[in-house]
Amino acid sequence: MILRAVSVAVGPGLTLVRGPNGSGKTTLLRALAGLVPLARGDRHVFGDVLYIGHRPMLLRGLTARENLEFFARFRGGDTRGIDGALRAWGVGEVMDRPVERLSAGERRRAALARVETERVPLLLMDEPFADLDDAGVNRLRQSIAHAREDGRTIVVATHAHPELDELARARIAIDYGAATAA
Amino acid sequence: MIDRIALVAARELRAERRQPDGVVAAVTFIAVLVLLESLVVGPQIARDADVASALFWLALAFATILATMRSFDRELEDDALEGLVALPGGRDALFGGKVLSLAVVLVLVAAIGGLLSLVLLDLPVALPLHLLVVVLLGVVALPPIVVVDVVLALRLRARAALVPILALPVLVPQLVAATRGTSAALTGDALGALSWAGLLFAFAVVYTVVGLTIVPAAIE
Repeated sequence: MILRAVSVAVGPGLTLVRGPNGSGKTTLLRALAGLVPLARGDRHVFGDVLYIGHRPMLLRGLTARENLEFFARFRGGDTRGIDGALRAWGVGEVMDRPVERLSAGERRRAALARVETERVPLLLMDEPFADLDDAGVNRLRQSIAHAREDGRTIVVATHAHPELDELARARIAIDYGAATAA
Repeated sequence: MIDRIALVAARELRAERRQPDGVVAAVTFIAVLVLLESLVVGPQIARDADVASALFWLALAFATILATMRSFDRELEDDALEGLVALPGGRDALFGGKVLSLAVVLVLVAAIGGLLSLVLLDLPVALPLHLLVVVLLGVVALPPIVVVDVVLALRLRARAALVPILALPVLVPQLVAATRGTSAALTGDALGALSWAGLLFAFAVVYTVVGLTIVPAAIE
């Protein structure tokens, strides 16, 4: 998907990116994360970015805890809160298992625990509700609410989940490469 | 930057220890080749220093390609590579970390393959220290260019076929240097062994600089 003439500014709080499948939500988030080259235009981000794609981005062969420790250490951060965060996300019992032996939902929970273990100012989450059960959806909603209260900027791309609407300060509707404020 | 490269290398080695697919494939490949060598060319020719050295380095070159591709295949599962690249400085640390971890893996593979060659072919070693230097520098010189090639072919479906085609022509000068250096160390030519070792060192430096420049941009 190619984005054309898209100009987006997001500030602290939750911004929702909505649009049907294949409309360019992922491309927009990946562009904000600096993962796709821009043919034209600029990208200005103040501070570090945490991008959680619609796959968990955890390396197989490592445990959930080791993956999160790697990410935290790479950013020069603290690893002490990792066990607590994984327990809070309901994967404390399995955090020392290699991630390939976890269920899809458990891998997703471990990936989302990064929101709490990497305290960066900008969070980009692509379809974060995928693979989550009801308890996981509630936990994610709480996590986003806490991040919002901490003054962090959160951008969530999802085609569903209206329960996030009440938390959102802005919405972007994206449709086949064109973005509008919604 | 060095801290981050060390972190990526440690992460890679830890994953390889739990899922040693790359090491197992590389060791199996080199062991089979050494075992078949004397059967195919006959014990007299197989014990020739030039032949034994050439087959050892060819096997190690293919083992490097196998181990590197397996390492990136693991990264592509669940988009782990994207998780690393999305980190600040991740793009820059990727190349150094991969090269460092692959060099460690290849030292192990070369040690096993080398010992098998020495024992099974009953090769006399005239200059063991020189041999060690040549093999170490030859092993260190292999991963940089293979990692660059694998990154360039990363999003291609036919990368399993393309990577050897891309890598082998570039590896030829290194393989020649490593083969000649090893043969010189086996036959007692100290000056020859050190000259070829110097060339291998130069290859390692040049390709590392090339990789550090190209890979961060190519990974996009």
